[in-house]
Amino acid sequence: MSELDDFKATYFDECTELLTELEEQFAAIEAGERDAERLNAVFRAIHSIKGGAGAFGFTGLVGFAHAYETLLDHVRDGRVEMSDDVVALSIRANDIVADYVNAARSGDTLPPDYGAHEKSRFDALCRGEAVDAEAGEDGGEPMDDFDIDFTPVRVELEAAEGAAEEDDAFEAPPFAAPAGHWELRFTPHQALYARANDPLLLFRELAALGEITVRPVISDIPGLADFEPFGVYCSWEITLVAPSLTEAQIREVFEFVEGDCDIVITGLGASAPAAAAPDPADVEEPEPAVRTPDFLALAEDEIETRGTSTSPAAETVPQADAELASGDSFSTPPAPSFAELAETIKPVQAPVAVRPAPEAVVPAAPAIPPSSNDDGERRGGGVQSIRVDLDKVDRVVNMVGELVITQSMLTQQMDETLRARYTELVRGLEVLAQTTRGLQDSVMAIRAQPVKSVFSRMPRLVRELATKTGKKIKLETIGENTEIDKTVIEQLSDPLTHMIRNSADHGIETPEKRLAAGKPDTGTIRLSAEQAGGNILIVIEDDGAGINREKVLQVARDKGIVAPDIQPTDEQIDQLIFAPGFSTAEAVSDISGRGVGMDVVLSNIKKIGGSVHVRSRPGRGTRMTLRLPLTLAVLDVMLVRVSGSPYVVPLSSIVETIQCSRAPFERVPSGGRVLQVRGEYVQVIDLAQRFALPTEADPDSQMLVLCEAEGGSKVAIIVDDIIGQQQVVIKSLEENYERVEGIAGGTILGDGNVALIVDVQGLKTTLHHKNAA
Amino acid sequence: MEVLGLRDDVTDRAAMVAQNTLQLIAFSIGEQTYGVEITTVREIRAWNGATPLPNTREYVRGVINLRGTIVPIFDLRARFGDGQTSPTKNHVVVVMSVGDKWVGILVDAVSDILTVSRDDIHAVPEGNSIDTELLNGIVTHDGRMVGLIDLYSIVSGAKLDG
Repeated sequence: MSELDDFKATYFDECTELLTELEEQFAAIEAGERDAERLNAVFRAIHSIKGGAGAFGFTGLVGFAHAYETLLDHVRDGRVEMSDDVVALSIRANDIVADYVNAARSGDTLPPDYGAHEKSRFDALCRGEAVDAEAGEDGGEPMDDFDIDFTPVRVELEAAEGAAEEDDAFEAPPFAAPAGHWELRFTPHQALYARANDPLLLFRELAALGEITVRPVISDIPGLADFEPFGVYCSWEITLVAPSLTEAQIREVFEFVEGDCDIVITGLGASAPAAAAPDPADVEEPEPAVRTPDFLALAEDEIETRGTSTSPAAETVPQADAELASGDSFSTPPAPSFAELAETIKPVQAPVAVRPAPEAVVPAAPAIPPSSNDDGERRGGGVQSIRVDLDKVDRVVNMVGELVITQSMLTQQMDETLRARYTELVRGLEVLAQTTRGLQDSVMAIRAQPVKSVFSRMPRLVRELATKTGKKIKLETIGENTEIDKTVIEQLSDPLTHMIRNSADHGIETPEKRLAAGKPDTGTIRLSAEQAGGNILIVIEDDGAGINREKVLQVARDKGIVAPDIQPTDEQIDQLIFAPGFSTAEAVSDISGRGVGMDVVLSNIKKIGGSVHVRSRPGRGTRMTLRLPLTLAVLDVMLVRVSGSPYVVPLSSIVETIQCSRAPFERVPSGGRVLQVRGEYVQVIDLAQRFALPTEADPDSQMLVLCEAEGGSKVAIIVDDIIGQQQVVIKSLEENYERVEGIAGGTILGDGNVALIVDVQGLKTTLHHKNAA
Repeated sequence: MEVLGLRDDVTDRAAMVAQNTLQLIAFSIGEQTYGVEITTVREIRAWNGATPLPNTREYVRGVINLRGTIVPIFDLRARFGDGQTSPTKNHVVVVMSVGDKWVGILVDAVSDILTVSRDDIHAVPEGNSIDTELLNGIVTHDGRMVGLIDLYSIVSGAKLDG
């Protein structure tokens, strides 16, 4: 039950959702709705799948998704036309992505050339060739076609010949191939050179390990007509003879270029296939010392759930053994699950493991759960939690809400005479009230979770980003025990990932630049969460270069996001980074820079009723503040009365309340009124008039509620009376009726009556034509 | 065999009878009796006020809380164009399911459960489009006319135009 497995399970859940979305989008696209929004949604989904896959080291999936994404990027830019063929190819590509995800989830291994044919077609399309030219008939064998040879996969095809019997080689190479002979396929990406890495240095490092022979593969070099100056056309085959070498040691050489190249390592020799399916007890053997810290981390849960154990290995290994042997709970044979084990470990090899080690001394390799795909089947009897469908919890929340209302109704019925007469009944009701409140708190607590579950994914992300970008980055997290509703937490992961990527990729500078600017060479990203009233504030702050406003504005103008004749303020420029399709990164990298990330952030945050604010100081850093509601189910409101009926106004939108008799009204030609608030003129809406309700209230006793709508624009609402403040549960009107203009929904008050929720934004947007009429 | 045959015959006939009859909840608005099919009725409750909705037609009386869900209430008298009902505690709300939605209709009183034969349902006389729109048919019970309410048309068109 390691953290990693939890993250993986979450990732796969997200993938399932994203794949479903892809499915839906393409159903619409196929039906002819080829608009930019759908394409963006597809792009975002693939981007998110790729991002997670990278974090877990599912290289096959990353490679494929990257190629697919590149094609989508071309389509989005209009460089490739979205023809029927492209749509068909994309749908096929979705299936391949789904297969990769499923394979990764179940621990199965796909053939190394899986999806290679499609991938080569992506490349061909991106280079402007017709889709059907080489696609249709040559049956997925691009090997003899020089034009489309430029794909990393083709290289892997060849490598696969050597690894024919050893199907683990592609995604999850065996932990330790036997001593002797190694075949390496090294295919650098353009990014590798862009980051000033030199293959020669890598080869020298390899040479230090043993005897090497390096053969360049130049068959991929195209004719001069197709030659791109910055294209990467050369890869290498390396034969390494070193008697006592583990694959991990070889991988270590490529550690700093991981992700910027495809590296396929094949152990040759008599017992290679056997090594792929070792006895679980073998797990201990090849354990190099480097990994120990991470195993400590992985083992933390293990120790917690089992109690202190003097020799965890002795205990855990037989257990894993037993599970492997039992075989009924998961269908995969030991070999793939072992492969998964290798995969689980691989990404944690980053040298910057700065986790506090638990006090227990953990010997090598306490068994990592061989099956991470089955959440219900957590090992041992120490399972202290169950997974419950959120719907079921919601039903309980609703029922408890009803109970609270009924209870308060009963209490209200008790007048003084009754109280005096039925003391037992009164006592019973008091106990009921207490119990109900306790029940309500407990139920809400079920849904609340500490943000830790999201925050704890981030250090790892930062480590990897640091490795990939060659920067030094330190992550500080504050307030990770702050609790938020589960639905909010679920929506938080994607935006946070993107924002941290953005900080690491664009915000923090390289160590050299930092030193030159007089800053410490290690950049800091601070991630904090705190509760502020009915909101949760999540702040991501870095001490990097800040937003380059000139460049941002330039890009925005180039992309047509900002019209040439408009001069936005600094603050507006900062907010531009959230515009769809906006990206200032010069080179499209694996990490960020395709201009989807921040777009995703904004849409996800808005979806859960939150807001994002950016503040940047050139040379000093950037601070992004997410303001989120504590829960989606409960709303803090102000209860008001209009024409005898209760209405509620979300507290989050209220700025202040003013007595009408003292309000500085001004008349405008339309006959309406405006309000002057601190030098600003604000539209006034009389709710009774607006909702066509009879008014009998004395205008002077009326109250004015000043609200802030989206984007900071204000509107003042006239109500008859302010009753108070409370928390309500939002109910839908549309469920049994239909949308009502100016009303965001309904809620049930303590007395069992329905109150309507005023839709401030809706009032504002329909203001013009209504008032004019 | 004969016994079995006879039984089959009996059940067939019972089924036929069941198929061919209709059970109605009858309620009154003023002097007139109307009915809805009993299977659509979810609940009958006394009028206890409703929260008015803004900018709706006069026959939408508002919404009520029915065990945690919000249900709209239609004033049947107003729907028939006779002006709004002035409801008292003695007025009754009949909650019904129409399609996948629950709605309540405000009536003066619920009178009876009627069992009528489908064959006895008469067409609504042509003439006034309001009648043909709001009624599915007419049956006679105890020598009096019972109008069968068309629930879908009661509910539709509730919003104000423009």
